[in-house]
This record gives sequence, structure tokens and C-alpha cells, in this order.
Amino acid sequence: MMTERELCQTIGYLEADALQRWIDLGWVLPQQNDDRLDFDAADVARVRLICELHYELRIEEDSMTVVLSLMDQLYAARRKLGTLLSAVEAQPDEVRARIAKYVKGEQAGPQ
Amino acid sequence: MADPYQLLGITRSSSPDEIRKAYRRLAKKHHPDLHPDDKAAEARFKEIASAYDIIGNEKKRARFDAGEIDATGTERQQQPEREFYRQHAEAPQGFKYERRWNGTDQNEADIFAELFGARGAGARARGSDASYTFPVEFAEAINGAKKRVVMADGKQLDVTIPAGMKDGQTLRLRGQGHPGFGGAEPGDILVEVHVKPHPVFRREDNDIRSTLPITLGEALAGTKLTFETVSGTVQLSVPRNANTGTILRLRGKGVPAASGRGDHLVELKVVLPDHPDDELVACITAWELKHPYDPRKAQGAVS
Repeated sequence: MMTERELCQTIGYLEADALQRWIDLGWVLPQQNDDRLDFDAADVARVRLICELHYELRIEEDSMTVVLSLMDQLYAARRKLGTLLSAVEAQPDEVRARIAKYVKGEQAGPQ
Repeated sequence: MADPYQLLGITRSSSPDEIRKAYRRLAKKHHPDLHPDDKAAEARFKEIASAYDIIGNEKKRARFDAGEIDATGTERQQQPEREFYRQHAEAPQGFKYERRWNGTDQNEADIFAELFGARGAGARARGSDASYTFPVEFAEAINGAKKRVVMADGKQLDVTIPAGMKDGQTLRLRGQGHPGFGGAEPGDILVEVHVKPHPVFRREDNDIRSTLPITLGEALAGTKLTFETVSGTVQLSVPRNANTGTILRLRGKGVPAASGRGDHLVELKVVLPDHPDDELVACITAWELKHPYDPRKAQGAVS
């Protein structure tokens, strides 16, 4: 857990105003406890990513909203895929074989 | 380490602008957070970043060209191992960002609802648990507290911290987690409590310990002090001739527990004045001449 100030110190070139703007835009979602913001490890890694996308790769505000939205949807889909994969792994061999056959058929394209 | 110019696909005569453009193009292409499936992306991105770290900086580039530093940058500080977002994105903490963009709390509208809800006749599954970490103040963990937390996604959570909570303990809030499918019950929220360290107090089971600095005069003559414990202010009597290491026990001022509240143990520490003082030295030296004492007697042969 880090406070806003600690986060700005950790990243160095990150300014408090920019961070506040990103929070207002919903790009970063720290936890709010009383009047203090707490950033967990995921928030910190995300702020670092936004810094790189913005300051180094020059992705501006409008485009960033699109980039982050697509990225979050990508990770959401991956999370769900992960859940499904565990579910498939937990099935008996016979069921898994049927699923495998189906998936191979799909990948081979229309018959 | 490969040649940074080769890594960025440019030549030694490229302008700073060309170097910057080359770096941006490659960084966009290889940023690991934008390629969650590509295991090698992280290594490539780090190579590109450290190449740019050298030749993207005109001073370092000149030193590299002159052969003063190598491609790793000899005196470059070892960067702490950084964490990329993709390491977190699919973990439970990443979940809040997933919900951000559909604007609703409607988990029902997802692929699982489609699989197990309408189509999967009668399939039911309990919702999954959601985990959060939650920092509390030292005194709040000792005495207990009611806290209202606004979660990142706007959801309000009332958390009751029971008295005597230890660092790292987990609270389970039943039915507050992710919704279930097909009418099954929702999951729970698991709140892991992080107790923030107190600047002076520390906890030892059900006792609290702290060190209290006192002056030489207070140590010699004794004194009465007002002392703030986690459960209110008490009058603390420092006895005459109180030495460093003397422990005063404040009964029932520790951590509440089923077996009765623990104690607060105050360890005294005699502190000399900030600066040497001739008057004090003369006074004490004269006194010791008249009243010699040997605090090392018990240790035997120490001269």
C-alpha cells in the first residue's frame, strides 16, 4: 500500500496534478480510506504503465481512454478464459477429450 | 548485452529525434502490458528500455560512443526489479478495472451468465470471493473500530474491526462478493487487515510495549507524568532512582482479550542533556568521589 505522495516519489517524474487527473478520469482506482488514498501493488503497476504510455509513447488523453478500455477488456477476457480453463481441467478425461476435439475442429475452419 | 544502436535499429549517425522515434515505435510494439500472452515481451522491452536509457540521453550517448561506458552503462544504478501491470491485471485486485468500462455492476451480462444462466438449464454456481487489503491505525486495531470504506468502484463497505485485531488477519464479509449464477448465493469479501506500525508503541501478544525517555533529574528524584495509552490518559509515577531499563506496568492498558485486557509496559530510558555541560560534570564527579559505586561489579573482571 502506498499513499499519493509515496507513489509520486517512487515513480519520480510523476506529478501529483497528473495523478489526480487520472484518478478523476477513472484510469486509476485507489482505495479511499477516510480522507486518504491507498494504492495497492496493482494500482502502482498501472500508474507506471500509464506514465510510460503517456510520457514516453505520447498517448494523449482521448486515445488513452480507448487504450485502457481495450486493455482492461482484454484482461477481463483473459481472466474469464482462465476460469474456463480451470473448469475444463477439472473435468474427466472423456469430457476434456471431447472439448479438445471440438476446439481442434474450430481451429481447422469450416468443414 | 547487444549494441544499443542495433537494438533500436538505428545507426551511430542517427539524430536524437530519430532515436526517440525508433524507441517509441519499438516500445509500443513490445510493451509487455499490451501483450499479456507473449512471455518474451518483457525481456525485449527491458532491452529496448535500457538501450534507450543510454543512447536516448545525449551525455550518456557521448560517453558510450567514446567507449567510456558499456552497453549496460557501467555506473548505471541497478534498477529495482519492476513489476508490470500484467502481473496484477488478472489477479483479484485487477477485478475493479474490469468493471470500470461497462458502467454497471451487471456481472450477469457476461459469458458465464450466458453459459449457466439462460441456456444452462438450472446450473447454479456460488459467486467468487473478492479480496481487499485494508490499512488500519495501530490504536484502531487494538480498540476496534467501525470504518466506512469507499471501494475503488464506488461500492461502500462498512467494516467492523474487532478489538485486538492482529496484522495480517482476515475478515470475511458474507455475501458481499461477486454475484452467483442461476440464483446461487454471492461470494464473500475477504478483507486482509494491515495494521500500521505505531511510531512508539509495539505490540507483544496482548501487551503493548514502549520506551519512555526521562531526564537525569527525573530519574534521580522521580516524577509524575501524564501518559497517553491506547485506552486513554493515565498518571504515570516514575519512582525515585529509576534506571534505564526499569519497566513500569500499566495494568489493563494493553490489548483487549477474552482472558482480560493485557498491560502496557513502559521501559524507562535515562537521557543525558544534548550537549556536555561542565557544571554537571563537576557536580557529578565530585559526588562520585565521595560516593563511589561500581555498576560493573556483577560482570566480574572488567577494568
